[in-house]
Amino acid sequence: MKLRMLTSALALAATLVSPLQAAEKRDGEFWMVIGGRQAVSHIDPGQSYDYSIRMMTQALYDGLVKYTGNPPEVEPWLATDWTTSEDGLTWTFNLAENATFHNGDPVTAEAVVYSYQRVLEMNEGVAWMLSEILKPENIKATGEHTVEFTLDRPYAPFLSFLPWWFIVNPAQVEANVVDGDFGKAWLAENDAGSGPYELERFDQGTAYWLRRDADYWKGFPYEAEDMGGIIYRLIQESSSQRAALMSGEADLVTDLTPEEFEVVGARPDIEVSSTPALTTFGLKMNTQGEYTGDINLRKAVAHAFDYETFVQVYNGNAKLQTSPFADAIRGKVEIDMPRQDLTKAKEFLAKSQWPEGGITLEYVYVQGLEQQRQMGLSLLNSLKELNIELEMVPLTWPNMVARASSVEESPDLLAIFATPVSTDPDAVAIQYHPSSHGKYYGSHFVDDPELAAMIEEARAISEWEQRAPLYEQIQQRIADIQPEIFGMLRQRQFAYRTYVKGYVDSPIRMTAEVDLYPLYIEP
Amino acid sequence: MLRLILKRLGLMIVMLLGLAVITFTIANVAPGDPARLAAGPDASQEMVEQVRAERGFDKPVPVRFFIYLGQLARGDLGTSVYTGREVARDIAQFLPATLELVLFSITIAVVFGIPLGVLAAVWQNKAGDHGIRLLAVSGAALPMFWLGLMLQWYLALELDLFPLGGRLGVFDDVPPKITGMITIDALLDGDPGTAFTALWHMVLPALALSLPALAAIIRVNRAEMLEVLGRDYVTNARAQGIGPFRIIAAYALKNAILPTLAMIGLRFGWMLGGTVLVEGVFDFPGVGLYAAKAAVSSDFEPIMAVTLILGAAFMVTNLLIDLAYALLDPRVRNQI
Repeated sequence: MKLRMLTSALALAATLVSPLQAAEKRDGEFWMVIGGRQAVSHIDPGQSYDYSIRMMTQALYDGLVKYTGNPPEVEPWLATDWTTSEDGLTWTFNLAENATFHNGDPVTAEAVVYSYQRVLEMNEGVAWMLSEILKPENIKATGEHTVEFTLDRPYAPFLSFLPWWFIVNPAQVEANVVDGDFGKAWLAENDAGSGPYELERFDQGTAYWLRRDADYWKGFPYEAEDMGGIIYRLIQESSSQRAALMSGEADLVTDLTPEEFEVVGARPDIEVSSTPALTTFGLKMNTQGEYTGDINLRKAVAHAFDYETFVQVYNGNAKLQTSPFADAIRGKVEIDMPRQDLTKAKEFLAKSQWPEGGITLEYVYVQGLEQQRQMGLSLLNSLKELNIELEMVPLTWPNMVARASSVEESPDLLAIFATPVSTDPDAVAIQYHPSSHGKYYGSHFVDDPELAAMIEEARAISEWEQRAPLYEQIQQRIADIQPEIFGMLRQRQFAYRTYVKGYVDSPIRMTAEVDLYPLYIEP
Repeated sequence: MLRLILKRLGLMIVMLLGLAVITFTIANVAPGDPARLAAGPDASQEMVEQVRAERGFDKPVPVRFFIYLGQLARGDLGTSVYTGREVARDIAQFLPATLELVLFSITIAVVFGIPLGVLAAVWQNKAGDHGIRLLAVSGAALPMFWLGLMLQWYLALELDLFPLGGRLGVFDDVPPKITGMITIDALLDGDPGTAFTALWHMVLPALALSLPALAAIIRVNRAEMLEVLGRDYVTNARAQGIGPFRIIAAYALKNAILPTLAMIGLRFGWMLGGTVLVEGVFDFPGVGLYAAKAAVSSDFEPIMAVTLILGAAFMVTNLLIDLAYALLDPRVRNQI
């Protein structure tokens, strides 16, 4: 009896404070709650970026162009159309004349010039994408709604990077510059954009509120006028994300573990989306290392590995790579990739400097990532057949990046996810160019003059018909020099309540990034 | 008494300096390139070098240490290389949340722990004692995060009695920030409804956090009570016909409480530094989670700041406990 009274009392108290369940209106509007595991450090499109920052900036700001769909295409956005000069140096963009910032100011060519110059001068965040081919003074407003970029040299991937360059309102930023900080401090927690959402509340470590701009200059791809906004709420543990989705405290969650994903996917009130990512996963080998510097040893290791492990550790939600390029990369062709073949592995080993094995290789992976540990165990098992030992070393991500930054420190094998920022093949090919040495995805320290020359040639050609065959050769060449055990493309997985509509996946987005623009609620 | 306080405060500054030396050394001998971390994984080498110069990472370690000390003296705890945010600002936001949760948890542990310890001693080797000891052993043995997950699964998800996590519901209005502790701020703002909601959000994490402390308090208090209850003056009091409640409350407990008080102080310090698992399970945006994320990212300025602040909190708590000792025990008071 007492227990029942206690339960009733608790239930009564619970109703007094129960969180508003999703798909219930608040002041006549729907607010969608997205549960994600990564805090939003800031919302300045000019500073550093990661998936949560990108998700916010993409909603608050507009770029000249935007990636949409699967396969991802560059779509006109603030720019309605553009032309390229014969020599591939001058790009001219015409802007939408009705575009306005959230405070009502028009989005002009001057604003575009200001935004690009700001990032290039700050030399942070996305600056690396264009800093080597575009000088700040070579961006000019040639009319109120026309902007012209003059590149230092022809650079075919130029357009493919522009979706990540967002336009800020110069008047708002300039009014908030402190000690020449480019308005960084202010923009970190305030928006000066023209995007489909406006910042309503920035509650660091808890939740970030975006109010839908009902008068968004480009309109919305849905009719639901009662869509009020989106709250990106931090939910740190995968199990808590699952619980929040099942209880309706979250409407969409971003990075569940494969196990949690299967559990929620079985429910009738939850929909799941699972599509191949642009992100590749591989075990990069240091091509200048003591052991893995020997191409025959690299090929032996690549033929010893049991490739099915890549798919199994993700419960089947992954697909083996059939080229060094991911499927959604332009110009990707099927290449004959190594698969487990111990006879071949032994043949390659026999040709190496260590025909009898008897060596120990180091495998470095991200501490706490169970899947990467399992891959290591599988590799350890396979290498026993070659009389090669494997030392498994878990490190935190920053420590891995530090090891990958020098050729002497870079481990024999490094487990790496790499997401190219564009669908242009150069974004992947460049990872095998000496200019990537020192970056985490360049931990193989490939230094192949023939390959480097092909990459440099291909990126300078404007015509796709001329570039395509070069990229075929580049893919083959990368595969031939075996700088890594080419792994898999993991599925991008999202789970959401069935009343969440408009979800469109695009593999160009980072691991847990969602495009908020087309999302709405319809019970 | 005043001399003691001043002496201890002076000692605290020396200890904090030592702590700063240790954390700074560890941060700087650990592998990892903070400039690369700040510039981002795709940044060009030129961008990395720019950050290195801007943040002073290119200076020798001893020079950087003195710069850091200078910053500390001005109350500047530095800037996170990973998020670019000011550490002092982040801590001002996250520390009150942890403090609020820990205060609530320690209150639960004390309010239930002391009476249960007393009852266990009074009921020695009877069913009640066994039951209380089972609770004490479980509290010591059950991992905090497991207990948190179970409470969340059963009481929040299955029975829907409590929220899954957070300090308030996403749609609840946050009271104006005064102390940063939502319950207190809401009450100061004349909004008991929000205070209750915040308290309700803290019930499950506080239960998970308080159980180990509760267990420790029960065990220490039971042992001390058993010893005191066997003393001659208690037998004498009984012989004089003094009621059992008065014997326990007025004579026995007052003498048995001192070691328990020390245990409460220790537990409070541990809780401040050990909230990370519970904060993770319940999405409670506290300083533990903040420090853990910084540690995984090799983001050392937040880690150093949190270590110093928690170290100081630990020292202050111990000082307060020593003062409480003096207030309660005339023998200690006379020694001062």
